[in-house]
Amino acid sequence: MTQISVTSRWIVWRSSGMLLPLLILSGLSFGLLLPLQGADWPQFRGPNGSGVSTEAPLPVEWSRTHNIAWQASLPGRGVSSPIVVGDRVYLTASSGPRGDRLHLLAYDAHRGTLLWHRQLQATGPTHCHPKTCMAAHTPAADAQGVYALFASGDLLACNPDGSLRWYRSLASDYPTISNQVGMAASLILIEGKLIVPMDNVGESFLAALDIRDGRNLWKAERPREINWVTPVVRPHTEGAEILLAGPRGLYAYDVATGQVRWSFKEAAFTVPLPLLEDEAVYLPVQGVSKFSLGPDGIRGKPLWQNRSLQTGYSSPLLYRGRIYTASSTGFITAADATSGKELFRERVKGAFSASPVAGDGKVYCFNETGTCYVLDARTDTFELLATNSLEEETLATPAIAHQRLYVRTDKTLYAIGLK
Amino acid sequence: MPMNGPLAICLSAGMALGLAVVIGRKFVEQGAYPAALAQQNPTASSVPVDRSVETAIAQLQQVGREGQGNAAAAQAWQTLVAAGRAAFFPALRAVREDQPIAANWLRTALDAIVEKEQAAGRTLPLAELEAFVTDRRQAPRARFWAYEWLVQAQPSARDRMLPLCLDDPSLELRRLAIAYELDRLERSGRADSRAELERLFGFARDRDQVDALAQRISQAGGQADVTRHFGFCTHLEWLGPWDAPGSQGYSLAYPPEKEPLAAGPFRGKDQREIQWQTAETTDRYGLFDLNKLVGKHKDAVVFMRAVLRAPQPTPCQIRVTSPTAVKIFLNGEFLFGREEYHHGTNFDAHIAPATLRAGDNIVLIKVCQNNQQESWAQAWQVQVRICDATGGPIPALQQVIRQQNQMRTIPLGARCEKDSPLPEK
Repeated sequence: MTQISVTSRWIVWRSSGMLLPLLILSGLSFGLLLPLQGADWPQFRGPNGSGVSTEAPLPVEWSRTHNIAWQASLPGRGVSSPIVVGDRVYLTASSGPRGDRLHLLAYDAHRGTLLWHRQLQATGPTHCHPKTCMAAHTPAADAQGVYALFASGDLLACNPDGSLRWYRSLASDYPTISNQVGMAASLILIEGKLIVPMDNVGESFLAALDIRDGRNLWKAERPREINWVTPVVRPHTEGAEILLAGPRGLYAYDVATGQVRWSFKEAAFTVPLPLLEDEAVYLPVQGVSKFSLGPDGIRGKPLWQNRSLQTGYSSPLLYRGRIYTASSTGFITAADATSGKELFRERVKGAFSASPVAGDGKVYCFNETGTCYVLDARTDTFELLATNSLEEETLATPAIAHQRLYVRTDKTLYAIGLK
Repeated sequence: MPMNGPLAICLSAGMALGLAVVIGRKFVEQGAYPAALAQQNPTASSVPVDRSVETAIAQLQQVGREGQGNAAAAQAWQTLVAAGRAAFFPALRAVREDQPIAANWLRTALDAIVEKEQAAGRTLPLAELEAFVTDRRQAPRARFWAYEWLVQAQPSARDRMLPLCLDDPSLELRRLAIAYELDRLERSGRADSRAELERLFGFARDRDQVDALAQRISQAGGQADVTRHFGFCTHLEWLGPWDAPGSQGYSLAYPPEKEPLAAGPFRGKDQREIQWQTAETTDRYGLFDLNKLVGKHKDAVVFMRAVLRAPQPTPCQIRVTSPTAVKIFLNGEFLFGREEYHHGTNFDAHIAPATLRAGDNIVLIKVCQNNQQESWAQAWQVQVRICDATGGPIPALQQVIRQQNQMRTIPLGARCEKDSPLPEK
């Protein structure tokens, strides 16, 4: 537990879905960590990359001036998502004419106060497609700290108070690392290990690092090809395994050793995440395809395929028995998760880079211009609850925590919802 | 935090230096900080440093590959931050451009120290900070950080500092200085002053600023030579195409890699005889389109060769832009390679630091093409430039070229008068 000093803040207590002001403390030093209730959003697309939160209630309507709990101007661009652990919101950004100035920021989740800001200068190449930047990987965090990887290969771990626990320059460790389109696969945490996906045209690997000092616990060779898929963790009776897809198929790695347990080479994809559901997996191939998943991997042919479920940069979402996709061509599509039958396919304005997220019976789809379509997830039809605009470029997937959406645009971090 | 010995010394030195800086400013002309004052700068000399701070800095400088030394470095980081203000300038002075990993450890510690100071309502010693910015013996990146902290605390410092930074080794400071001067010209109604614009053009290093200034000079009736400014090789000899079966050309060793001056002829792709040929480009950015020059080939390699004449040993950077895999050689020595195909044509994507010897130097670039069939994967081109560490021209460099079987020298970057249009702003 970390000691914190509180000079003036609201301590909140949540009960029956309501957040109540409980106490104002002024000028007091506090010897206890005051854990916030509610679910964290500790990595890209939240708990195990699902994109689903148990938080409720969640906001329906907002604008740049309405229903915004707080907002913070950012020191740089980013396509990385905010993450939320306890009372901290963590975010990365990059800036400078060469994009080589790297930022890791920690905000007070309640008030938006910048708690600390750590900067690095990129040690690896910073060339990339103009749509992305060096702040493309979403960080991962737990109660012990936050871990941030940049597309230049710079990787750091900070304690919640901002002290640097360790730092690595992967471009110095492995000098052939290269992806001039720009890397983006995000970090995940599992069993005291930081899982680092580093698929690229040079020394390509998936590694597990000791979260205490950043040293390699294992490093598994990967195909020398560019790839942006974030790994997901699958519980397994013989110990958890990491599923990582790429241009050569889907591979399962033993979390303990990094050994490949099984592979499925028939499904190659390089951006969206697979979705796990008990004994099934949904893969973003041929639209979306559902496969049966046993202890030794994917079994047989797909249970169903639906080509209308188009993704692109964003990942599909599994929520309340339906699969949702928001495509780079501007379609929001839903299908029944059991049968694959299309429920609706609606063209809306703008392309989607951010993945849809869900909670409290709602699906949130942010397009690239900052317009969010809030869908009613209690029905099989396309029911729009609201269309809200932040009027800023929005490429990053939002986070859900504290009964709020945390949304990063190209200029601003917004906490949307309850003040 | 109580004032301790080193802090008191720092503050006293800072006050004294502040006076010196004020006096020194009277002697500042055209971006050069007086050498005599810089020599007196205590930020670079013998201010006593707490032993624990020294030890902590040394620890950060010893972090090795793959996280070796990270655990000890974390402790050292805590020591530095706990020392606070007393560790600030020692940490700043310890930053070195050739130790980028240690520099990042130090940067984050400096961030934490500054945050602590700000939280405590204290201001960093501004005079000392200003002296550090002007001390060009310090690492350029550390001087830029110091500038930012200085201006954050004292915005008016910008007006004192930036006019001194037009020729700064820090690209960030140089960029800010050029923007500042451009803004000053605008506000004084001299935005079309050709002489002023040409002066700024000489200092510019970032391509967007170079292009913008070139355009404004053109509008003012002048002509800025972007090609020479960047030091592009406008004349190259080429040899190819060589066969690269299975797109393995990057890994295969071809005769020019061992003997860059061997005249040939050689057996190239499809057993055809190939030999060195000359080419020149009129492109503003030194582009050689190999599909036009050599022909459209897949699974192929071509070598591009330039002879650079330097009057003395000259540190430089060989910068290559290409959408396909390249290797860079100097005088038969491999310097740099990157096996990546069709992921963009990023300016200066490949940089090889080198030192040219006095006399003639053979720069050899191997440019590979793979077998991708997509329409967006057909480009085969290269741009080569030789510049200083800031990306700026090295005026003394000459290129030895062959024209009509005669050898002659031209200034690096010189080209024919046929001009491609200026880029859109």
